[in-house]
Amino acid sequence: MLRREQRKKRYYSIGFVLPCLVLALFVLIPFLGPSYKTLDLALKIIIFASLVASFDIMLGYTGILSFGHGMFFGIGAYCVAFLNGKYGDPTYFHLFLGLLLAVAVACVLALIVSLISLRVKAIFFAMITLALAELTIVLANKLSHFTGGEDGISISLPGIFSAAFSPGSFLGLDISGRVITYYFILLACLGLFALMLRFTHSPLGRVLQAIRDNTDRAEALGYKTFYFQTLSIVLGCTVAAMTGGLYAMWVGYVNPESTLEVMAIMLNVLLMVIIGGMGTLYGGIVGAAFLLITQTFLPDLQKLAIDLFPNASLLHTILERWLLLFGILFILVVIFFPKGVVGSAREFIARARGEAFFSS
Amino acid sequence: MNATNNNPIIAVKDLTIRFGGHAAVDQVSLEVMPFTLKSIIGPNGAGKTTFFNLLSGQYKPTGGKVFLKGKDITNLSAPMRCRLGLGRSFQLTNIFPLLTVLENVRLAIQARKGYGFNFWRHYLHFSACEDEAYQILKEVLLDEKWLYPANLLTHGEQRKLEMAILMALKPEILFLDEPTAGMSQEEVPAILEILERIKSMGDKTILLVEHKMDMIMNLSDSIAVLQDGRLIADSDPETIYRSKEVQEAYLGGGAKRE
Ligand SMILES: Nc1ncnc2c1ncn2[C@@H]1O[C@H](COP(=O)(O)OP(=O)(O)OP(=O)(O)O)[C@@H](O)[C@H]1O
Ligand SMILES: [Mg+2]
Repeated sequence: MLRREQRKKRYYSIGFVLPCLVLALFVLIPFLGPSYKTLDLALKIIIFASLVASFDIMLGYTGILSFGHGMFFGIGAYCVAFLNGKYGDPTYFHLFLGLLLAVAVACVLALIVSLISLRVKAIFFAMITLALAELTIVLANKLSHFTGGEDGISISLPGIFSAAFSPGSFLGLDISGRVITYYFILLACLGLFALMLRFTHSPLGRVLQAIRDNTDRAEALGYKTFYFQTLSIVLGCTVAAMTGGLYAMWVGYVNPESTLEVMAIMLNVLLMVIIGGMGTLYGGIVGAAFLLITQTFLPDLQKLAIDLFPNASLLHTILERWLLLFGILFILVVIFFPKGVVGSAREFIARARGEAFFSS
Repeated sequence: MNATNNNPIIAVKDLTIRFGGHAAVDQVSLEVMPFTLKSIIGPNGAGKTTFFNLLSGQYKPTGGKVFLKGKDITNLSAPMRCRLGLGRSFQLTNIFPLLTVLENVRLAIQARKGYGFNFWRHYLHFSACEDEAYQILKEVLLDEKWLYPANLLTHGEQRKLEMAILMALKPEILFLDEPTAGMSQEEVPAILEILERIKSMGDKTILLVEHKMDMIMNLSDSIAVLQDGRLIADSDPETIYRSKEVQEAYLGGGAKRE
């Protein structure tokens, strides 16, 4: 009993307060009167944090590698786009239906892929998702009368979400369709995060970690690992599709390049989960923030450096290769935070408290 | 428990498994009576572990059948057999290395209680699981290390954890594959004591693979001898001890072992 209280206390301490602070920050950002660029960045961090967390459920918690996460993200985006751009007027009902469709399609597809591949071997899942993802891109490009081809689909949002909506101001904040959409997406992602947290801390979530650690042993305990893996995949992919739908709402536009480019999105998601820390969920926030902020501001830094040191040509060449800089930064993070930022921080805190080891 | 003392709780008929051309278990037939302890002995590579893998469902046999209380379970998966009461410990330590010692045991209890598919409550809500896990850790003298990740335990401690996980499953039938393998002399008595305690409770059936002869002679109700995958003897300890054939097999095996 005592042990349980101890554990509960820890659960409600830093691990609880810090995410609340982060949430407060995201809630306040529109009030700080940011440029559109900053608001856009903040929202993309929120969305990608959720996307990375959903990937983490599969990779970090269950040990299943998927190359199709970008595809599920894209499918969600296209579902919303179909119903709010190409085949439907912008109504609340269509928006709701679009998100629902995203969930349904992702659920069914994830289920089918799991059923086909997991029976054979978990690594088979990675290969099938890779092939499927490539196929989806080809389809999105080729079926242009259906998907809009390379040009994609523009989305218009209903009522309070539309850019034209502006009922006035509140506490000095200009309420606009953008701001309302921002809060809507923030709320939705919060819901997704709460769902994933509950899932990973449930008895079922603990079994997933057992499967990741030692699948055969989990079987020998009487867990039918196949069902657990399938559930984990379905949840991960469904959340990914939801985030895709929300992303489409925000950018108002989908095309194969921005929402389906598997490799680009997957690479980003992988980098984010490694930076943030696998098997932590919160790592998604850190990873997404790190990657998106550097991607947004490194080019600025480069301009700044050119202004400040107009003659240091070596510096210019280095900064021009900002991806190289990013690579170095990434390597540093991996060296100094081998378990990701969140994983390593948790370990550090546990040590500082005099506990010999951090227990997950 | 509907098995009476006259019917075998486990029966094996012509059980065979081939890896390539090599039959690791070859036409083995034997019976295990309920609430007894049967030891399986034989030289290295005789097929003892493979035999266990066939019984607990890790491997599918190429031929033959396995019966549990008269019911054919040959085609059941490992998790299903576990749920029917077949618990297994492994010769090569088989634990969840990154999870804590307590969590290793807690997961076994959770499996037994069938909470595994609950995804809407925090796992700490099921405090009975945690408390029971801690109790079992006390029994195997691991309670002080409950918060350690399992991979940081010494080999001997990991063997104890392996036992704790098995006990947490509360199986009706226990398959113990060399529970003292690789343990130091000082650590063996702890395991032995646990074994004796389980046996003295009298409500379990135990299958034991061991190389320590004195231990086997003390504990066993009957002994089966495997050699090159074939069953060469199955009888009470005295007869086995006297048997020329067994001695030869074992000496041969022992010599190979050196
Ligand atoms: N998965 C496998 N694939 C191929 N051969 C196998 C496999 N498992 C076991 N064998 C072979 O089966 C034979 C029996 O092995 P097993 O591990 O059952 O012996 P054992 O009696 O447990 O020996 P030990 O006393 O060393 O534990 C060995 O020759 C081994 O190489
Ligand atoms: Mg063996």
